[in-house]
Amino acid sequence: MTTTTERPTRTDAPADAWGGTSMVTQITVLTGRSLRALRDPRMLIMSILQPLIMLTLFSQVFRSVAESPNFPKDLDYIDYLMPAILVTTGSQAAMWAGVGLANDLKNGALARFRTLPINMMSVLAARSLFDMVRNGLQLSILLIAATLLFGFGPAGGVLGVLAALALALVIGWGLAWVFLALAAWVRNLEVMQMIGMVAMFPLMFASSAFVTTDSLPGWLRVIAEINPLTYAIDASRGLALGDPSWSPVFGALITSGVIAAVGAVFAFRGVRKP
Amino acid sequence: MTELMIEAEHVRKVFGDVVALDDVSLRVPKGTVMGLLGHNGAGKTTLVNVLTTVLPAESGRASVAGNDLTTAPDKVRSSIGVTGQFASVDELLTGRQNLILVARLLGASPGQARERASDLLELFDLADAADRKASTYSGGMKRRLDLATSLLGHPEVVFLDEPTTGLDPTSRVSLWEIVERLVDDGTTVLLTTQYMEEADRLADSITVLSNGSVVAAGTAAELKADVGQRTVAVTLTGESDPAAALESLRRKGLRPMNEKPQRALTIPVGAASDVAVVVRALDDVDAEVSELNVHEPTLDDVYLALTRTKTAA
Ligand SMILES: Nc1ncnc2c1ncn2[C@@H]1O[C@H](COP(=O)(O)OP(=O)(O)O)[C@@H](O)[C@H]1O
Ligand SMILES: [Mg+2]
Repeated sequence: MTTTTERPTRTDAPADAWGGTSMVTQITVLTGRSLRALRDPRMLIMSILQPLIMLTLFSQVFRSVAESPNFPKDLDYIDYLMPAILVTTGSQAAMWAGVGLANDLKNGALARFRTLPINMMSVLAARSLFDMVRNGLQLSILLIAATLLFGFGPAGGVLGVLAALALALVIGWGLAWVFLALAAWVRNLEVMQMIGMVAMFPLMFASSAFVTTDSLPGWLRVIAEINPLTYAIDASRGLALGDPSWSPVFGALITSGVIAAVGAVFAFRGVRKP
Repeated sequence: MTELMIEAEHVRKVFGDVVALDDVSLRVPKGTVMGLLGHNGAGKTTLVNVLTTVLPAESGRASVAGNDLTTAPDKVRSSIGVTGQFASVDELLTGRQNLILVARLLGASPGQARERASDLLELFDLADAADRKASTYSGGMKRRLDLATSLLGHPEVVFLDEPTTGLDPTSRVSLWEIVERLVDDGTTVLLTTQYMEEADRLADSITVLSNGSVVAAGTAAELKADVGQRTVAVTLTGESDPAAALESLRRKGLRPMNEKPQRALTIPVGAASDVAVVVRALDDVDAEVSELNVHEPTLDDVYLALTRTKTAA
């Protein structure tokens, strides 16, 4: 700016040339901003590593489960395990939406958005949408790996698997709002990741994810049977195995919707505070 | 009467027990710079947050660019540009991407956004670094990008919260020049600062905040006249008689600060013409002067005096 004599404002259009924009455009632009992060594949690779390791370990470690008397006959353990991995991985990934928002809060991007004529709900919606896209990519890669490496091929066929994938995405999306709300109020990456771990791991093991609930010891079975994750996993499993029981499916969808709505209210109130 | 672009009346904001803003009123006419002066914790950022619709006030009312903050916050946000105390650039994006993103959110088409981004990158001397990630920028570059982002939508009112804190002297001066050009164009600026020099140089009027209250308001000259003291410092040559000089000054009704005769004398004066009285008083006793300086009160003096009385009260 040393030599220029031009003016920093009003160089072209008059002051009121841009009259703001619709929420749809806001969400599209903001989601596009986040999608740039995917051009750097390192994060995606990192987030796939953990479920891939889990898949490898559990498909070997728990293989004997398939021989236990409680386990359905003629069912490959990988076909039993994979729908659960979709749900647990999808749920864990919800944390990333919160991590993204916490980063925006820290680096000041949110401070800028608060002073713009946009709806802060667009900022949150864009985060949750981006997280869903990322989650979809991650789960698709996992599915391909499970099919090619571990012989995943459930009775529900491609349609059943896609339905299970869609369900996992909706569940992850609903939970993403919980983490968005947490990020908006806690605003601390480490604390949030801790909460994510502490909440998810016990829920994951005290569920029907890896073994049938009847084969769990008494007290654990009680927890597993009231654990919402069990219902989500049963729903996903039913879809993939081509034997869907619709009440857990609808239950999971409705619960996700309610969780998203409550999370959205809190996230919206929290994110507006400077 | 000129159009008021910022008008705040009896604004109050509390955080729990802390009264961050207590009955703050201010008026900023179009095309002028209001300097908001105060030390850390005075309430500057809180006032900027209230005026930019980020925080709701407890009571009082305010309007910016003719729009009421509570009834038309979206209109307010459409007419302002804000550069916060802490950089608000997305470090994962390049400078250009940062600008395009915000332009799009303001309603520009992709083409308009790209064009405006290029213009501003050029104006703010960031063209060379335009396609580098903002995380590689220096502090001064981030500030400039931040400011450029605030100006994307041709705002009528620009808020700058401590825009030069932490900048090196060169970056500071170049930022001042940007502000001056903005004002030449008719933009109204509210700028907070801890530096008297900055307020003195840029602000048409100054509001001094302390512990959330306005303790003084006026032009720099008015503040100096109200609180500051103009002094004349003279140094007598070795041959002169300091005792006679002191005596002569007192006879003329002046009240030198020195209790005892000394070669260096400091004499508070009222009007500028009183300097002549000092010279005549010395001349009367044939005291020869080797050095004479008139010290105008600085904003620092004003600020110190004000905050001292405030603390004592
Ligand atoms: N979010 C907040 N919660 C509690 N206290 C706050 C908050 N923001 C500011 N304060 C307090 O309000 C006062 C004014 O702060 P601030 O406006 O940031 O001052 P300045 O910008 O002049 O340094 C300070 O005492 C500060 O501690
Ligand atoms: Mg501040």
